[in-house]
Amino acid sequence: MPVKELGALHSVGKGIARIDADEKVRGKAQYADDLHVPGAWYGYVVRSPVSHGRLSGLRMDSDFDWSQVVVVTPEDIPGNNIVDMMGRDMPFIAHAEIQYLGEPVALVAAPTRHLACVAGSHIHPDIEEFPPLLTLQEMVAQYKEDPSKLHELSAQTIRKGDADKAVNEADIVMEREYSAGHQEQLYIEPQGMVAVPESDGTMFVHGSMQCPYYINPELCETLDIPPEKLRVKQSAVGGAFGGKEEFPTLLAGYCALLALKAKRPVKIIYDRNQDILFSTKRHPSWSRYRVGLNKDGTIQGIRCEFLLDGGAYTTLSPVVMYRGILHSAMGYRCDNVSIDGHVYRTNTFPNGAFRGFGAPQALWAWESMIDELAEACGMTPHEFRLKNCLHEGDATPTGGLLRDSVGSPEVLEKTLERCNFGEKFKQCSHGRRGEKKWYGIGLSFFAHGSGFTGDGEARIKAKAALDLEPGDNGKPVVNVRISSTEMGQGTCTIMPQVVADAMSIDVRHAYYPMPDTFKVPDSGPTVASRTAMVVGSTVFGAGRKMKADLEAFASEALFEGQPVTLDQDRFRGSYGDKEMSFEEVAAEYLARKGPLRVYDQFQLPDFIKWNQNTFEGDAYPAYSWGCNVAELEVDTLTFEIKVTKVTAYYDIGRLLNPVLAKGQIEGGLVQALGYAMMEKIEVKDGKYDADRMQTYVIPTTLDIPEMDLHFVEYPWEHAQPGAKGVGEIPMDGLAPAIANALVQATGIRMRDLPITPERLFQMMQEEKTA
Amino acid sequence: MMKVTVTVNGEVYEREVPESKTLLHFLREEIGLTGTKEGCAAGECGACTVIMNGKTVNSCLVLAVEAEGANIVTIEGEAKGNELSDLQQAFERNHATQCGFCTPGMMMSIRDLLARNPKPSVEEIKQGIEGNFCRCTGYVQVIEAVLDATGQLDKKGELKHV
Repeated sequence: MPVKELGALHSVGKGIARIDADEKVRGKAQYADDLHVPGAWYGYVVRSPVSHGRLSGLRMDSDFDWSQVVVVTPEDIPGNNIVDMMGRDMPFIAHAEIQYLGEPVALVAAPTRHLACVAGSHIHPDIEEFPPLLTLQEMVAQYKEDPSKLHELSAQTIRKGDADKAVNEADIVMEREYSAGHQEQLYIEPQGMVAVPESDGTMFVHGSMQCPYYINPELCETLDIPPEKLRVKQSAVGGAFGGKEEFPTLLAGYCALLALKAKRPVKIIYDRNQDILFSTKRHPSWSRYRVGLNKDGTIQGIRCEFLLDGGAYTTLSPVVMYRGILHSAMGYRCDNVSIDGHVYRTNTFPNGAFRGFGAPQALWAWESMIDELAEACGMTPHEFRLKNCLHEGDATPTGGLLRDSVGSPEVLEKTLERCNFGEKFKQCSHGRRGEKKWYGIGLSFFAHGSGFTGDGEARIKAKAALDLEPGDNGKPVVNVRISSTEMGQGTCTIMPQVVADAMSIDVRHAYYPMPDTFKVPDSGPTVASRTAMVVGSTVFGAGRKMKADLEAFASEALFEGQPVTLDQDRFRGSYGDKEMSFEEVAAEYLARKGPLRVYDQFQLPDFIKWNQNTFEGDAYPAYSWGCNVAELEVDTLTFEIKVTKVTAYYDIGRLLNPVLAKGQIEGGLVQALGYAMMEKIEVKDGKYDADRMQTYVIPTTLDIPEMDLHFVEYPWEHAQPGAKGVGEIPMDGLAPAIANALVQATGIRMRDLPITPERLFQMMQEEKTA
Repeated sequence: MMKVTVTVNGEVYEREVPESKTLLHFLREEIGLTGTKEGCAAGECGACTVIMNGKTVNSCLVLAVEAEGANIVTIEGEAKGNELSDLQQAFERNHATQCGFCTPGMMMSIRDLLARNPKPSVEEIKQGIEGNFCRCTGYVQVIEAVLDATGQLDKKGELKHV
C-alpha cells in the first residue's frame, strides 16, 4: 500500500476515548434547552397556512391583550429583510409573496411558551391564494413538457469531449430515469436557539448549530449591526447531519429580532412537530441518463440530467446541485461526459444540507445505472466495475487528475474478496417461484469529494488558532480555536490528537472548547467532509508553529541558548543532559510572557486548478473512496425486505481515530439504510405527511444489519496528518447496493427511493399484468 | 396547582406544580435535572426515559402528579460522585455516545435491562433498547458497550481489522 511516511505519529491513529464522553455519559452536557438564561421569553413563529399566494396584511384580534407580548413584523426589522445565503431571494418574514406553507408572517415573544402560542393564534394573515407547484413529480412532468415554465433557482453544466456523438456511435445505448424523495435529518435534539441583547449593544446568539460563521455575518445585515457586535456561540449539539448547517440562521434571526424589540433574551426550542414541518430536508432528486457502451463494456459517452427540487428559495441549493453533478458520472473512465444540473422552485420549505449534500442522490442513480449497464453488455456488476473504475493517474469527469491518495481499485477488490461476491452472486434467487425467501446480493462503488466543492477552499482560506493559556485547573493547556463544531462526529477529540502530534506533546495537554466567534477565527463551516482534512491540517500547521515558538523560548530563557527540541512531551537541549517537561516550560512561558496565540491558514496545493465557470479541473482537493455490498432477503408472502449484512471497505485517508471513524461509518450506513428503505415523507396539500417520529420512521436496533467494515489508508499526501473526508461518504452507496441486490433477489428494478414493500408489491403486480 | 412529593436518585423533592406538568418537565424545570432530554414529547423517541418504581417510563408521558410518592432514577443517579459506573465507563471506551442527546435515556433503558438480565445476548440488548432512537451511532457501539460492561467483549475499544 503506497502510504507515504509522514513522520512518527503517536496520538493520531489511536482509538482514544471521546474527550466529551464524560459529560455526555453523565447527562451534564449543556444543549440549547438546558441553558439557563434568566429572564428569557419564549418565541413563536406565526406561519402562512397556504403554499403560494400574495400577503395583503395581518389581522390581529382586538379582544386579545397585546400588552403582555411582543410582536415582530417586517416593519420592525432594523436592516434588510433578507436571508443572505447563495441567493438573496428569501425574506426573514414574508411581506408580499408567500412561497411555501409555513413561511413566517410574524414573530411573537411572551413570558411563557403557552402564551406565545396563544398570541400567535390571534394573528391572521390575509392571503390571496395562487396555485402551487408542490412535488418533484409535478416538477419533472413540467420539465419534460416545457422547462421554461419552471422557476429556475440555479443551473450548471459539465462538458468533457463530445458526449452526444459518443453515445450515438456506441454499440449499446441505454436510457434510464431514477428519483429519490425527501429525507429528514431527524437529529434527536430539536432545533434550539437563544438570543441575548447585551447592555453594550452586542447581540449574543447561543444554541444548536453547525456553523457559527454562517450566522455571523448572515444576521448582521438584518439586524443592521457590525460583525463585531454579533457574538455567536455553540452549545452542545444533539446531532445535526446538515440540518443545523444553514437553518439555524433563521432561528437565530427570529430570536434576535424578538430580543431586540422585547429588550430581553428570547429563546425558541422547536417541538418535534414544528421541527419536521418547518426545517430543511434532503432535496428530492431526479436523474436521467443516456449512456453509450461498446460491446466489450467500455463506457463511450455519458449524458446526464440532474434535477433537484429546491423548495421555495435558493438558500444553499446551487452547491448541493454542484456536488450532485460532480458525482453523477464519477468513479469510472469515460472521455465524453455531458451533465446538466438544475434546481427548480417548488412551494415547500427550502430544501437544504443533509449529509452527502447531493452526492447520495447522484450516486443512488449512477450506481443503479452502472448495474443496468453491466447487464446490457452481458457482464456481471463486479466485472464491469473492475474494468471501468478509475485508477491513480486517471481523469475525473471534469478532467481533474487523480494524482495520489487513490483508494481505487483497492476498496473494490478487497470488498469483493472479503464477502466472496462472485460466488454469492451466482446464488441469487431472481424471483424463483415456490420459495419462501428470496436472496440477493448487490454492489456499489463510489468516491466522495473531500472539502468544499470547486473554488470553496481557495476562497475561504480556513484559519485555525491555538492558545497556550492557563486551564481551569491552573495548569497550561493548548486550546484549539476553530469554528468547526462538535456535533457528535468527534471534532473535540481528533483536534487535540492532531495538536498532540504536531507539537509532540501528550494529548491531555490539548483541549477543544466550544466555538465562540469572539474567540475563534473563521475556519469555515462544519460541512463537506472538510473538518478532519482541511481544518485538521491547518490545526497541525498551527501546532508546528507553537512547537517552534516554545522551543525558541526554551532555548533562550531556560537552556542558555542551546538548540532545544520538544519531543514526546520533553524539552531537551542539543548538548548536556538538561530536560524539562512540556508542562514546566509552558508554565514558565505563561509566567514570563503571558498567553501565546499562533495562527495558521489553509493553502490548497498549487497544482489544484479549478474553473468555477466551466466546471473544469480539480473539483476537490482529494477524494475518499468506498465500496458497499448489501445482502438481503425478501419474504415472498409479505414482500418485507430485510438487509441482513453489509460488507464495506473505505479509504478515508489517514485514520485519525479508528474507533471514531468506525462510529461515523456505522451511523452513516444506518442513516443510508433509512434513506433507502424506511424514511418516506411526502407533500400532501402542501404539508409533509409524516410530521412526527411515529410516522417518519427511522431505523431502530431491530432494523440494523450485520456490518463488516474495513479501512484501507491512502493518506492525503499534501498536508499532515493526511486525513480525507469521512462524515458524508457512508451515506453514499447503500441505497444503490440495496436496489442492485433487490434485482438479483426478485428480478425487479426499483428506480425510486425509498424502496418499500408496498412499492415492491405494486411493481411485481404491474410486471405480472404486463 | 397540586403538591407532589417525589424521590429522585434518593433525594426527596416536594413541589407545587400545575396538574398538566409532565414528569419530564418536573425533572428539568422544577428540580433542575436537565440530563433527561426531550426529543419528541410524544413517547416516540425514548430520549426522556427514566426509571420509575423499578420500571422504565417515557417521562414525557407521565404527569408529575402521577409520580406522587414514586421512586425515580435518572441519568444523574448513574455515577457515584466523580466515579463513573461500569456502564458509563464502557460507553466511554466504546464510543457509544456521539452527540450524546439520546445517551441518558438509552442508559436508563440499559440499566433496566441489566437489572432483569445481567448478561444479555446481542439480540436481547437490541430488544432492550429498541425504544431508544439514536441517529448518530447506528447502535453498534452502544451494543458493544453493553457487551463490554457485562464482560462479554474480548477487545475493548480497538477496531479489529485496521
